[in-house]
Amino acid sequence: MTAARLPQIVAFGGGGFSREKGNRLLDDYVLEQTAVSRPRVCFLPSASGDADHYIVRFYRTFDAARCEPTHVSLFRRDDGASGDLRTHLLSQDLIYVGGGNVISLLGVWRAHGLDEILRECWQAGVVLCGLSAGSLCWFAQGVTAFVGEPRVVDGLGFLPWSNAVHYDGERGRREQYHGFLRAGGLRPGYACDDGAALHFVGHDLERAVSSRRGARAYRVEIAADEVTETPLRTRHLARMAAMAA
Amino acid sequence: MSQGSRRIFGLGGGGFTIEPENPVLDRFILSLAGRPIPRICFLPTASGDPDDHIARFHAAFDGELCEPSHLSLFRLGRRPVAVAEHLLSQDIIYVGGGSMVNLLAIWAAHELDRILVECWRQGIVLAGLSAGSMCWFEVGVTTSAGKPAPARGLGLLPGSNCVHYDGEPARRPIYLEGVRTGRIPGGYGVDDGVGLLFEGTRLDRVVTSRAGAHAYRVHGRDGVVTETQLQPERLSAAPGHEAPADVVELRRVHELRRRG
Repeated sequence: MTAARLPQIVAFGGGGFSREKGNRLLDDYVLEQTAVSRPRVCFLPSASGDADHYIVRFYRTFDAARCEPTHVSLFRRDDGASGDLRTHLLSQDLIYVGGGNVISLLGVWRAHGLDEILRECWQAGVVLCGLSAGSLCWFAQGVTAFVGEPRVVDGLGFLPWSNAVHYDGERGRREQYHGFLRAGGLRPGYACDDGAALHFVGHDLERAVSSRRGARAYRVEIAADEVTETPLRTRHLARMAAMAA
Repeated sequence: MSQGSRRIFGLGGGGFTIEPENPVLDRFILSLAGRPIPRICFLPTASGDPDDHIARFHAAFDGELCEPSHLSLFRLGRRPVAVAEHLLSQDIIYVGGGSMVNLLAIWAAHELDRILVECWRQGIVLAGLSAGSMCWFEVGVTTSAGKPAPARGLGLLPGSNCVHYDGEPARRPIYLEGVRTGRIPGGYGVDDGVGLLFEGTRLDRVVTSRAGAHAYRVHGRDGVVTETQLQPERLSAAPGHEAPADVVELRRVHELRRRG
């Protein structure tokens, strides 16, 4: 661990081991951001209700050869990583939040005090990442359609923007996001396709990356009832890896 | 729906989750609806809606005379359901065990707390075990964070509830000390296999599926806690009335279908 680490969040529109079998680009990317040779990685599957099959898939991807993996189950606190939650999470290099139901995720986190603990982790430079619900949660606001009608949820607000995920993958996401922006009450933000990810350092977008060709991320703003969507230069990680080699 | 009555049945543990070979408590729950084929909806929220928990509910109830369903808040994305309408159309809502803290947090986040209070007001029987029992009281003693600790429930029933009183003995001393000091209001300690039936907020019956299991009224006053044993009624293998011939036949059909 280096002395002063910057707060970092990598928010996936979708992708990584949860949704891209055999494509390790996004998962490799977040591991690299820790700048540690064998990072400590903790998986938080709360948004899925701590589904066993999801936890197993995490351990298959983040195997002990490349990192020190653990998980925290908030449904079975006696299971998984034991001892004090705060101490455990603060000792990580990377915290990886799985997908699922963002409303349940935030409810459970707040009930266990994880909102405050994760803020401390972020400020201490533990890299935070996740997909879908695990992306929306870091922003001030997110648009979810997981439960029935699309709605705006208040996230943890580490990033002072709004967020929409699965922007290309799920029908109506773009229209819903634009609709909420036009209706007022939703702040400007970032939308992200499946396979694309936004990498923030502090509050600022450092870069957008992708695990597949054509996956994009967008800055979305509203001025005078007009929504403007600016595609961000999104670097395909396979090409970056090839160039580095 | 039984008009005018508001009933809650809370188990210290038991039913299909804990004693799958002994259906008497689950059949007792079905008998509370007061209709021949009650609609019963299982809420596995407290355990995170795992598939095996849902499958075990259906294994237990699909063969019974009822219309079973379950509502998974974690899987609504794949199976959209009009949550309020579905719950308000039930005769019985059966809440599974798990993390009481997570249960209440998720219910609050999805506004299920409000819907369930409305269900209770409309006479829908609210039942459950463990976290699914304590959630109806003001306070429960949960192991949601590892060690037993008090947690707030919905408060439909006044006082407190401590489950698995015999099965998980670490809860009892925390409960008794909490009631003694006034940190936890007085209430009921309930063994595995024992259920408390409330009519409104009044304890009406204490029933059990096993010999030797009890419930306790726990009361604190002037820094002293007292535990009064309540003797439960032992439920027989076929509670209530004998099923009519057509019902027996339908059960047989259910059974055949289940075996495929």
